[in-house]
Amino acid sequence: MTHLLEVKNLKTQFKIDGKVMQVVNGVSYYINEGEIVSVVGESGCGKSVSQLSGVQLIPTPPGKIVGGEVIFEGVDLLKFKADSEQMRDIRGGKIGFVFQEPMTSLNPVLTVGQQIVESLILHLRMTKADARIRAVELIKMVGIPDAKQRIDDYPHQFSGGMRQRIMIAMALSCNPKLLIADEATTALDVTTQAQILEVLKNIVATTNTSLLIVTHNLGIVARYAQRIYVMYAGRVVESGTTKDIFSEPRHPYTIGLLKAVPRLDEPKGHKLVPIDGLPPDLADKSPNCAFLPRCPYRTEKCLEDTWPELKQVEGRHYAACYVNIQRKRLNFYVGEVDKTKHALSKTLDSIEQQAISARSKILEVKNLKMNFPMYKGILRSKVADLKVIEDVNFEINKGETLGLVGESGCGKTTVARCILRLYNPTEGQIIFAGQDIAQLPKNTLRPLRRKIQLIFQDPYSSLNPRQSAGSIVGEPLKIHNLAKNNIEYQERVAELFKMVGLDPSMKDRFPHEFSGGQRQRIGIARALASDPSVIVCDEPISALDVSIQAQIINLLEELQDKLGLTYLFIAHDLSVVRHISNRVAVMYLGRIVEITDWKSLYENPLHPYTKALLSAVPIPDPFVEEQRDRIILRGEVPSLLNRPSGCNFHPRCPVAKKECSLNVPSLSEVSAGHKVACLGVT
Amino acid sequence: MTTVTKQTNQFSSQAPSASGLWRFLRVFLGRKVVIFGTVIILGLIITAIFAPQLAPHDPYQQNLRSALQQPSEQHLLGTDQLGRDILSRIIYGARVSLTVGFVSVGIGSLLGMTLGLLSGFFGGFIDSLIMRLIDAIMAIPPLLLALALGAAMGGGLQNVMISLGIALIPGYARLMRGQVLTVKQMDYVKAGEVIGSSDFRIMLRHILPNCMSPLIVLVTLNLGVAILAEAGLSFLGLGISPPGAAWGAMVSDGYRYLLNNPLLSFAPGICIMLVVLAFNLVGDGLRDALDPRLRGTL
Repeated sequence: MTHLLEVKNLKTQFKIDGKVMQVVNGVSYYINEGEIVSVVGESGCGKSVSQLSGVQLIPTPPGKIVGGEVIFEGVDLLKFKADSEQMRDIRGGKIGFVFQEPMTSLNPVLTVGQQIVESLILHLRMTKADARIRAVELIKMVGIPDAKQRIDDYPHQFSGGMRQRIMIAMALSCNPKLLIADEATTALDVTTQAQILEVLKNIVATTNTSLLIVTHNLGIVARYAQRIYVMYAGRVVESGTTKDIFSEPRHPYTIGLLKAVPRLDEPKGHKLVPIDGLPPDLADKSPNCAFLPRCPYRTEKCLEDTWPELKQVEGRHYAACYVNIQRKRLNFYVGEVDKTKHALSKTLDSIEQQAISARSKILEVKNLKMNFPMYKGILRSKVADLKVIEDVNFEINKGETLGLVGESGCGKTTVARCILRLYNPTEGQIIFAGQDIAQLPKNTLRPLRRKIQLIFQDPYSSLNPRQSAGSIVGEPLKIHNLAKNNIEYQERVAELFKMVGLDPSMKDRFPHEFSGGQRQRIGIARALASDPSVIVCDEPISALDVSIQAQIINLLEELQDKLGLTYLFIAHDLSVVRHISNRVAVMYLGRIVEITDWKSLYENPLHPYTKALLSAVPIPDPFVEEQRDRIILRGEVPSLLNRPSGCNFHPRCPVAKKECSLNVPSLSEVSAGHKVACLGVT
Repeated sequence: MTTVTKQTNQFSSQAPSASGLWRFLRVFLGRKVVIFGTVIILGLIITAIFAPQLAPHDPYQQNLRSALQQPSEQHLLGTDQLGRDILSRIIYGARVSLTVGFVSVGIGSLLGMTLGLLSGFFGGFIDSLIMRLIDAIMAIPPLLLALALGAAMGGGLQNVMISLGIALIPGYARLMRGQVLTVKQMDYVKAGEVIGSSDFRIMLRHILPNCMSPLIVLVTLNLGVAILAEAGLSFLGLGISPPGAAWGAMVSDGYRYLLNNPLLSFAPGICIMLVVLAFNLVGDGLRDALDPRLRGTL
């Protein structure tokens, strides 16, 4: 059978800083008409570069395609020059691309219509009038309401999810045979991601276009892809059908990934098994298997021989590994729950819950409101207030973890910053250590700051690039005079380093010499330095690779056990929140819509938004995914300036009633500890 | 904690922070023109420091009998209208240029950076106040300022340096303010606040070091500008008073003799040109080497 696209032994190099990096090192894959195939891997594995090499879009001063064939509809594309007419015909005409960053992939000075029309005129040689009609059709097809009016709008007038849909419309405009989505939904919210992927899936079904999804999200892969290629360090290490790979992964890296990812349906207390070590160095020329330093299954043969070739395991399932890993050696499950473990963890849960509710409140937030003034005009006069947080109430008990989830714009980061007094709340009380710290003057606040700390989301911007790691970690000690002399200071810094799993001898290095995961550990060490009782974790793992995320989650859990810390864990990844939290609060447009213990939230969600949110999260298990219900929300998250009347969620709510647009529901207790803000429930 | 030891043993063998310096030098000295500029500046500094040793004659020694002579073995660049050796005057002139350059840029940059830092960090009323002050300074043409100061306090090098310094303040203040506004948004500044740093500490430890790169470039570029400005001012008769040797003054004095003794004006003129060019090239090289190499994400 001839494939639509067949890549054979593709090799691409990048020369950076004098070093040659073999970014794509002999990659082969194929895709047939109408198929959905996924290429999975973490950052740096070469999945994006492979796709871009296929259409010769890699920047050629540092990059260079040095080998292989890319056979599209029987013709080797690499035979053509990068800027030739044939390649330009293929790009956009036969192969469409959707990139990751919707904010920057559309030209801001042209209307959306103009951009689509340009593509149509170029490739299909339509007249302007015809092209415009087709453009409106396309925009409608991807689900943008009021297509006829919106076609003349500029990109900045659309939200991120809508821009991504427009990108899809553009990519599809010339009826390509193949659509490549390169991390197309990574920058989007969970519910928007679900909408976009459904659009793509429908398009594939109706037009028989092939879809190649490049991603690191195993959940998406399990839900949508038919076949998978797993990449590591520039090579394909495992390939096969989705069900084969998820039920019987053979390569240690695939196994590691599956074990390291938290799932919505795992038993509580299930320990994530991280992949040890660091991502591979692509400039390393050693002929051995690149996964060797991190592989728990390695043997003598792996040390002696070169990179193993892809060997057939069974049918279409191939793996590049010398070790024959039998299923029974693995102690995790796919498609079935380990019942004994589940029962045990249930009892532990209830004991834990009782213990926690018997403890005291350590942080309480009452009627929190936060407005930001908006200025316009030459005189910068105040025009309006951006009401980011409308009315937030919650409390955290000592030693527990409260998870705070919500999509972008819901105000969860603002809540964190108000608690940390990085903003001064407009109204409301924040009661900590017996005092209301919401309006406390900065000087009185300073000693209290020791006790509440923050872990930031971005490990790259949260460390001062001009400060050594040791100095960053030790700064709180200096500020609060916690070390009597230099010796004590050095000892404490070394202790903090060890606590977070870093070698104290690295304290004189600068942040850029550490990896993302290590930088996050430095951030954690800094937060621990002043011996706090509460730590607010603001999306601490979203910027990290999947295999590193598990390391950090385990570290946070360990520290909580050892030091008796209380966490406010803010995230948009519902699986992670479920894994680490005792209680969870869901936010939407500046209000808490549901708050309860983790079990009730995930097994018995009451608020329609919570239900939709949970259904939008893909579970990395194709067997489970097949049987799940999907609730796809209408529309987008509204702008804060146009808050819907009454219940903010009613325009998108599948079960909204008339009264929902009139009254704002308040958070009321439905059952023990379970509070919901919904008129349909209370 | 077995995870701990595994992690640390596998720390990739990257070289320690000396690699930053190495990379900087490699990029900075990567272009031939930058090396050329650096050599010239070094030459200028050495000339200025060792002027007494290098100059073949006394620059102030007049000898009317050997006035306006062409270049000879005795006087490599000839003599001026008062019989003074041009080469020696140029060598001593380097001192004036360098002094004016460094002092005026010193005044401008220190005051400008402080104002910019305070303005950007505190915002609000202080920001408005400082920025209006800067606007006021920019509204006065530097030449006029130099003339006014000259009229009020007498001429001379000191006033040239002060007026140039004041004229340079707005450039630094605005650049610094812009940098501060950007750096203020970074998470590590917020982290500084969260751990309880005082404002002073945040400004000095977290914000200032991360704003410096473009300012260092501006300093090198301004050195060239200041030297040129001094030349202009002394051409107009402000600045150094005779018999002091300054390049601009030499160009002005030699103006009348351009036809037969062009070297009187050309020699100092070419020096001015070379030095300004050198500072510009070095400034370019610095900009390339500092930005974005040494920023956080590498």
